[in-house]
Amino acid sequence: MIKNYFKIAWRNLIKNKGFTAINIIGLSMGIGCFIMISMFVIDELNYDRHHEKVNRIYRVNSDVIFGGTEMSMAVSSDPMGEVLMKDYPEVENYVRFYASNGSKLIKKGNEYINESAVAHADSTLFDVFTLSAIIGDTKTALSNPNTVVITETAANRYFGSPELAIGQLLETDDNQSTLYKVTAVIEDIPRNSHFNFDFFFSMANVDYGFGNYLSHNFHTYVLLKEGANYKAFNKNFKEVINKYLLPQAAQFMEISSMDDFEASGNKLEYSLMPLTDIHLHSSRGAELSANGNIQYVYIFSAAALFILLIACINFMNLTTARSSGRAKEVGIRKVLGSEKKALIGQFLTESTLIAVLALFVGLLFVWLSLGWFNGVSGKEMSMASILSPKFLIFILILPFIVGGLAGTYPAFFLSSFQPIKVLKGKLSSGSNKNTLRNFLVVFQFATSIILIVGTIVIYKQINHIQNSNLGFNKEQVVVVNNFGLSRETRQSLKNEIEQLTEITSASFAGYLPVGSSSRSDTTFSTETVMTESNGFNMQYWNIDYDYLETIGMEMEAGRNFSRDFGSDSTGIILNETAVKLAGFTNPIGKKLYTTDGDSNLEAYTIIGVVKNFNFASLRENVGALCFQLGNNSWETAYRFSTTDVSGLLATIENKYKAAAPGMPFNYEFLDEAFDNMYRQERRVGKVAMSFAILAIIIACLGLFGLATYIAEQRTKEIGIRKVLGASVTNIVKMLSTDFVKLVMLAFVIATPIAWWFMDKWLQDFAFRIDLNWWIFAITGFVALLVALITLSFQAIRAAIANPVNSLKTE
Amino acid sequence: MANKLLSLNEATKTVNSGSNKVTLLDNIDLQVTEGEFISLMGPSGSGKSTLLNCIGMLDSFTGGGYTFLGEPVHSMKEKNRSKLYKEYIGFVFQAYHLIDELNVWENIETPLLYKNVKSSERKALVADMLDRFNIVGKKDLFPIQLSGGQQQLVGIARALVGKPKLILADEPTGNLNSKQSTEIMELFSKLNKEGVTIIQATHSEDNASYGSRIVNLLDGKIVS
Repeated sequence: MIKNYFKIAWRNLIKNKGFTAINIIGLSMGIGCFIMISMFVIDELNYDRHHEKVNRIYRVNSDVIFGGTEMSMAVSSDPMGEVLMKDYPEVENYVRFYASNGSKLIKKGNEYINESAVAHADSTLFDVFTLSAIIGDTKTALSNPNTVVITETAANRYFGSPELAIGQLLETDDNQSTLYKVTAVIEDIPRNSHFNFDFFFSMANVDYGFGNYLSHNFHTYVLLKEGANYKAFNKNFKEVINKYLLPQAAQFMEISSMDDFEASGNKLEYSLMPLTDIHLHSSRGAELSANGNIQYVYIFSAAALFILLIACINFMNLTTARSSGRAKEVGIRKVLGSEKKALIGQFLTESTLIAVLALFVGLLFVWLSLGWFNGVSGKEMSMASILSPKFLIFILILPFIVGGLAGTYPAFFLSSFQPIKVLKGKLSSGSNKNTLRNFLVVFQFATSIILIVGTIVIYKQINHIQNSNLGFNKEQVVVVNNFGLSRETRQSLKNEIEQLTEITSASFAGYLPVGSSSRSDTTFSTETVMTESNGFNMQYWNIDYDYLETIGMEMEAGRNFSRDFGSDSTGIILNETAVKLAGFTNPIGKKLYTTDGDSNLEAYTIIGVVKNFNFASLRENVGALCFQLGNNSWETAYRFSTTDVSGLLATIENKYKAAAPGMPFNYEFLDEAFDNMYRQERRVGKVAMSFAILAIIIACLGLFGLATYIAEQRTKEIGIRKVLGASVTNIVKMLSTDFVKLVMLAFVIATPIAWWFMDKWLQDFAFRIDLNWWIFAITGFVALLVALITLSFQAIRAAIANPVNSLKTE
Repeated sequence: MANKLLSLNEATKTVNSGSNKVTLLDNIDLQVTEGEFISLMGPSGSGKSTLLNCIGMLDSFTGGGYTFLGEPVHSMKEKNRSKLYKEYIGFVFQAYHLIDELNVWENIETPLLYKNVKSSERKALVADMLDRFNIVGKKDLFPIQLSGGQQQLVGIARALVGKPKLILADEPTGNLNSKQSTEIMELFSKLNKEGVTIIQATHSEDNASYGSRIVNLLDGKIVS
């Protein structure tokens, strides 16, 4: 019986090649999209799962509000891990990463390579995380100072192979030059890990004032014992704060108790975050890599599911559209003794067969577009990931789900034909008033419209970010790293390059208003004695005299640092937010106090106010910030004015290489660095656009099928109308009006939904566009236009047909 | 004495057309015994097809009684009714109604599939039919490749393969030329002699003459 079903199904597919093609293409696009997003989602959900003790590893997060500045960080203080382990038996072990320097220069032959995947780690690294050694003993690998564990990739790059690497020395630029012995080579860290270091240096070599509870620079991971509850454990942090932090804090500020501290609107909190939550649920300061976002996982999954649904609906509509072609067969089979059940089985077999074919075509689509999708999503997925047993089972089940989803309604629809009616050729044409089918069309178009609106809003917002008034000028600035240069050489190199006619301004720039740049913050007070109420936290950046001009910032009041004033080393420039936070109405000349590293009080006089500029993501409002005169010179920014950018770069590189032989020439354009902060949004925009296009294409395929159906059903009616004198326009209008109404209904339904979603998405941005009515108007117009074009194909064909032919068929 | 196959007692069929009640079959009384060959005659619209469909249980009477092999069809559920006609009734149509996507062999085989006949038995039965109707050479052809007469042969073979007690034929030769008509009618006559009960609806006096009894219908009533 099944064999017979397949035979019939196959012959039907072959016989109606056009419909089969539309069906398979539509479904395969849906399935392909669904598989691709599934791969993406599975990849996102599987971050950090390769560690054996994954369910017992937690990161210590810190949340601080001080003086109106809020900081949520992925780091905590250096003694935190040890204290937790010492005081709480639930903690089995801990490990810290110190990655605050960002990168190291590592010597290979006579050249230095700038390595950014570097961290210092405790020797317990391998007890907490699962990082398997290829060679060497990880138990003792990082126990001694001047040791380093590297990955296979790094070993190959520097020494040729893991075997050749073991026992060798690596030279880094720590304290000018430090040698590290390779004590172990580990397998490369899987790509879907929230940390991806190639070098783990010994923690003993970190040059840091250890023992400071108030300074947060260490990524601390604790391994809890089996059965310990991390939520319950979080209650212990209050005790830790009272026991260790408060005594230390009391040394330099008047702080009586945690309750008073919190009563004045401040906050200090620590908490454990499960390792598996880090990738999708954490976007804190000092993350070890750009994390994903669970919201995008949800949105993508929903979009993929909806596209699959749209494709299934197509199948339903196209299949029922062709029902008159199958009606006779249904009638005969019933007369020959088939039960309804058997017919349903037959049609489900057919839809499943189509789904299986669509699966293969869909896999082909995935294979063809995976490279593109990887580029868009920033992943490195390959077809091989489909071969994992779980995923393979999922893919094998998929056609049955899709076949069932798409085939059930047509199967019931077709199998319910009454034999005496269809065998007499009297298939009722009243079924074009099918509410279910209308509902499905509305659903398809509403979904498409929501996706289109989403795409437009995302693109507009990204555009808005790129073109909004940032408070500085990101165009035509190149930032060059000063590796391997002494302070004097940096100055002379800068002077030399500044002479070039293309360079309009140059400045040392340790701090830049882009995400990748370094940051430092500390607490200030308006009185000499800091209290909870007069203290506040703000960024302090060391800049030189030319910084504001080079980066293109503007003064709001007062003056910039100037070489003409000898006293500017005690001067300070605030941004507008800082002025507000300090509570000054007339800030120039007022004083601010802070303590230096040795707890000595320092006083600064406000000499100017700089207009607010964005130095963090545009998701946030501009925070408080001040400039001090300093000499943070490990990068130099050059503002240029030339069309021959590559020529200028080559000139700068030559001059740099002459000054710093063997050092890597590392540069970055300010606008590119800025754009990188919004890479994720741009990715989402691209994915959303492809979704929207795909959705509208599939929906139109379905509309095309429906138009065919209606035209087929109304052939006789159209013939009679033409004989009675209807024009082609009349007929086209008659055939299109119903669908146009449906698309308009879809628009009415989709608009508030799309508005709600996009309004929610925009809430994430402090600087955001308004949801204009014309975004919706354009979308509605586009959807209607595309639908009309699709419809007109069939409608015109039906309308210009010779009525003699259509009337003769009866 | 031959067994009684079916009997109709004051069987009536009405349909609602708008607000009007239209009577298609009016108080039909008909007894059919096994081995009969009945021709239903009458002009278009006299109710021949409706009566055939109702007897074949594709449609149902709205009033009166219908007993088939002693079972009261009028009070049966849809499912049992379908079981009954699947077992005992074969249909032959004016437009042949072969399944276009299946070849001759497969078309004849289809009713057996729905009766859950075993594969080996199916093969034997279909081969037997092909042989009997002299269409062995055409078993792999599709309906579109056959002439009308050949298609109707296949249609009859398909109706017979399930060994029904009753063949219902609605204008079986309506789409055929006179030579093909004659062949089909002679085949019916032969089958009837072999014991198959046949009821056919026809316009043609010639065709009707092959039957053992003629029932004339007019406006839904039996007139003779």
